[in-house]
Amino acid sequence: MLAQDGPLDARNAVKINFPQESPVKFVSATMGASRATARGAALLLDLHMSIELQNTGGSRLHGVVLRVVAQEVAAGGKASVAVPSLNVGPGETFPLRIDLQLMRPNQGAGGPLVTVDLDGVLFQDFSFFGPDLLNSKRLLTVWETEAQRDREHFKRMLAQSGPEGLRREVLASLARQAEQPQLDVRVIRRRTVSAAAAPEKHVAEFAFLKFPGAPVEPVDGWAEIAGGEARAPRIQVRNNSSQTVKYVEMAWLVSDPKGQQYVAASVPAADSDLYLPPGKTAQLLQDSELRFSRSGEPINIQKMTGFVSHVQFADGKVWVPNRQSLEDTALIKVLPPSPEEQRLSDLYRRKGLAALVDELKKY
Amino acid sequence: MKHPTQATLALHAGGDLGPVARWRTERHIARCERCREEFAAFAEMRDIAADLGEIPEVPWSRLAAEMKANIRLGLAAGECVRTEEKPLRHSIFSGARALVAVASVVALVVTGVVLERPNPVPPSIDGVVVQATKDGIQVRQGVSTLRVLHTGVKDKDVMYSVGAQGSMRARYVDPETGNVTITNVYAE
Repeated sequence: MLAQDGPLDARNAVKINFPQESPVKFVSATMGASRATARGAALLLDLHMSIELQNTGGSRLHGVVLRVVAQEVAAGGKASVAVPSLNVGPGETFPLRIDLQLMRPNQGAGGPLVTVDLDGVLFQDFSFFGPDLLNSKRLLTVWETEAQRDREHFKRMLAQSGPEGLRREVLASLARQAEQPQLDVRVIRRRTVSAAAAPEKHVAEFAFLKFPGAPVEPVDGWAEIAGGEARAPRIQVRNNSSQTVKYVEMAWLVSDPKGQQYVAASVPAADSDLYLPPGKTAQLLQDSELRFSRSGEPINIQKMTGFVSHVQFADGKVWVPNRQSLEDTALIKVLPPSPEEQRLSDLYRRKGLAALVDELKKY
Repeated sequence: MKHPTQATLALHAGGDLGPVARWRTERHIARCERCREEFAAFAEMRDIAADLGEIPEVPWSRLAAEMKANIRLGLAAGECVRTEEKPLRHSIFSGARALVAVASVVALVVTGVVLERPNPVPPSIDGVVVQATKDGIQVRQGVSTLRVLHTGVKDKDVMYSVGAQGSMRARYVDPETGNVTITNVYAE
């Protein structure tokens, strides 16, 4: 066992695994004020790690995902830290922070408390490297596709309306981010509740938003609703494209009695080996329970809306809604911005318009 | 300028003021930085208290039983080391002794009531819970918890999203690196 109630010994507490042939190399790590503390029969690990990585590949690196596995935490104790929207040239280094707390019973076996592995890295040309245990290839590809879409949007604004037009667009984005209503959501899996405590439920149907040109469309769907709780969403989708689809994800919105709409969750395909040929239908279903609240009070779900948020084809390419579709359906006011839009608007907020214009010119 | 009392600010942080008092307090803290900071501190304290409520269930009954067993053990040990039996001149339930005895019984009863008080218990959850906390996102089952933190980032600057399959994601711009960082925890 590790020495407890003191600073962590990085060599023993954390193991960092990068494959030998990885195009991203681990350079160094600092542990800062990390500590392990015994608390009764439990061990509390407070880890604040800053690591430096290097792009040793031949192409510009645009995103990376690290998998963090905590020893002996129930249900796998799995987490990840992803950094999309990077633009790291060959040979350049970049920092990444991992801050986590782990509480677990104190009777653990020896070995590292936390293991950090490379799960995937995406390059500018959409080439990917990594074991992909957390579907990092799809996620990084979706984020990169959205990044290209939103950078193009800002560049178009700059070209059409000049720097002031770009400023207006970024200010509008920042205003939307500030006003975005957020729900507190708890996801519970394998839940059991006494019959007396179970609230009365009913089945509610989804209303769907459909985008012109979307390769997959929702056909029908429902979920069990009980006050501020929703269970077991099921949505049937049809492949309208000419290509085989291997992954579909729906976004799920809920409305409260005042008509305020919130992003509740995403409903991914439950089957990791989805195979949806052109013209065929498939069902997305999840056997989990979600509890929605706002400011500590459960919200009463009045209406549910769904739309296809992204699709991955058998060849690995992805589809995401375009800006026009999001604006036409007013979803842009409800949905969070893409990671790239968030990064660019934050850059404007911290460094101003000139820095944003310079950044856009790099792409 | 007359400042609201600490009690008023604390009540306001908990949303417990009446409409008029709330309006007056809001109007004051909008102009007074000192009171605004105190109000924020009270609000933060409420968040911490809420987190404390999420500490895994403590086996109070077992703890109480252990305490009682320890008291009995102490009494038995006292009997063992007593050298001789001193005759009692008066009844053992008289004067200061009686007072101490009664006080001890009362303390024991009060402790028992406090430890076993019927708190409102939320519906029992037997499974993996994924949720956001005030400084991160976590996956929890029983006493085991893995929490990924977004240190140094204001909660209003973090975007949370949930996967119905049992995952949660927090997205923010890291103030140190300037990079968008996305953390995820998974129930499975």
